[in-house]
Amino acid sequence: MTDQAGGQDSSPGEPPSAPAAARGAVSRGVAWARHTVSDVGPGLFMILGVEILVFWRTAHPYFLTQSNFIEIGKRMTIIGIAAVGETVVIIAGGFDLSVGSVAAMASVGSAWVVDNGGTLVASVLAALAIGALIGVVNGAITGYGRINPLITTLGTFAIVRGLAYVLTNNKQITVNHEGFQNLGKHSAAGLPYIVWILLGTYVVFGFVIPRYRFGRYMYAIGSNERAASLAGVRVNRWKLVFYGVSGMMAGLAGLVNATRLGTGIPSSSIGLELAVITAVILGGASLLGGRGRLLGTFLGVLFLSCLLTGLIQSGAEPEYQRVAQGSALLLAVLYDERRRGRLARG
Amino acid sequence: MTANAIELNGIEKSFGPVEVLKGVSLSVPRSRCYGLVGDNGAGKSTLLKILSGVHPRDAGEIRVEGEPVDFHAAIDARLAGIEMIYQDLALAEDLDAASNIFLGRERHKGRGPGLKRLDHKRMHAEAAEVLESVGSPMPTDRKVKALSGGERQLVAVARALEFSPRILLMDEPTAALSVEKVNVVNRLIGRLKDRGVTMILVSHRFTDLIQVADTIGVLVHGRIVDEFDVAEQTMDDMTTRIVRLMSEAAVGVSQ
Repeated sequence: MTDQAGGQDSSPGEPPSAPAAARGAVSRGVAWARHTVSDVGPGLFMILGVEILVFWRTAHPYFLTQSNFIEIGKRMTIIGIAAVGETVVIIAGGFDLSVGSVAAMASVGSAWVVDNGGTLVASVLAALAIGALIGVVNGAITGYGRINPLITTLGTFAIVRGLAYVLTNNKQITVNHEGFQNLGKHSAAGLPYIVWILLGTYVVFGFVIPRYRFGRYMYAIGSNERAASLAGVRVNRWKLVFYGVSGMMAGLAGLVNATRLGTGIPSSSIGLELAVITAVILGGASLLGGRGRLLGTFLGVLFLSCLLTGLIQSGAEPEYQRVAQGSALLLAVLYDERRRGRLARG
Repeated sequence: MTANAIELNGIEKSFGPVEVLKGVSLSVPRSRCYGLVGDNGAGKSTLLKILSGVHPRDAGEIRVEGEPVDFHAAIDARLAGIEMIYQDLALAEDLDAASNIFLGRERHKGRGPGLKRLDHKRMHAEAAEVLESVGSPMPTDRKVKALSGGERQLVAVARALEFSPRILLMDEPTAALSVEKVNVVNRLIGRLKDRGVTMILVSHRFTDLIQVADTIGVLVHGRIVDEFDVAEQTMDDMTTRIVRLMSEAAVGVSQ
């Protein structure tokens, strides 16, 4: 008997008790490794590519400097935190285009709170609440309103970004709150606080997904929404949770961005959704839902951050970042399509 | 009141201008198996979906063990002891067999409200047990998409049986199965009757139904036009009756 979550064949389970079953254990181990590689998707292979890139870049005098690695880590945080929520929504068969706008709104919201005498804790809560609220609205429209998630979140993408400009009069909110700025700039145990926040989100969700109904229903609804509903899963209610989590994580990413810059900027995080979705798909999540792993997303984010940082370091124009991300996204989607074709044929 | 496990009176249902069910009445005594035959589009699946809470009915009455019931969702029917096995099985292919069997009714560790952890060990153990009882022992941690058609069918059956239903509805239980697997399912239906489960089976292959059903009803254009006890008929009589009714119905459509 094994002890593992559905859709999360991440552990090889307890070894069989009989010695005769040793061969079975080996073959199960091989099967597990194959599954993991297939579930984590191209991200794993891309990391190898990045290793080569890094090696090649050693010729460049600035690439291997410590500040560069810190830069990669910091770049990871914004994309990586938002990617946790996007992974949840995509595995559940949905899509969230609004994460960049939500991050911007949360960045100005949290900056506004500390600028008006609020505490650091209040500003963090404000960022999370703003994100969760917008996410729940997304979930309600796609679930109860039965509107395609692409259209829904394209709408909120525009609305929220527009509101961020309107509410701030298109001005940045500069923060003179020491704690707020320290959160974005200082470190503990050798790692910036914001990198700890990034790791914390992956640890929390990595713990929750295989152990609670949250994860079970995320895979079930993404795999077969009708079956989940017929089995008694309250699908629309869970969509509020999934989109709410995506919004909340985007809000957290926006807060991190604001603390890093010491400023809430309504035009920040433009194009974040492209990076986030690219990372999630690179990590092996299927656009059709039901498949994907948080570990894959983490690797996808790592790859993308290295790629973007490498491009900047090598002096490429910023426009090439978008070209590179778009290309990576399309390659990942093509890979996903091919892989599904193989599975369908057996 | 008789001890009918399930009783339908004058069930009507339309989808837009299309009248699918035009006053269907039938009753099934406890531990009996009712087979509903009919051509494609006769309304068989719609009737089962009304019984399982998927569609609301327009008119008529449903009684379970004599009590009138009203279902608003599939979970209402499940909680009332009515399980349904859908023609397409309604399994989440990316989940393993155990997760599918317990989908929507997971076993939890600990007590009390709030966040309860899933009890994977217990679910896998119980899933293995119920799969064994339907004659299909298989690894419960295998994803459904890696299973054969027959195995999937039995996972769907196991899911229905795990919660000890009083009434089991099956939509085309044998349509996708090989002859060998049809025999497995038929034997299973016999054992379920012995366990006191009442069943309504729907099929367009009446030869399969005759082997397991106690009563056959023929549904034509939303009405039950004939009903008889299998034990009182010879095979030839039943075949002639059903074929005649269904071909008359087909002619009626073409005119």
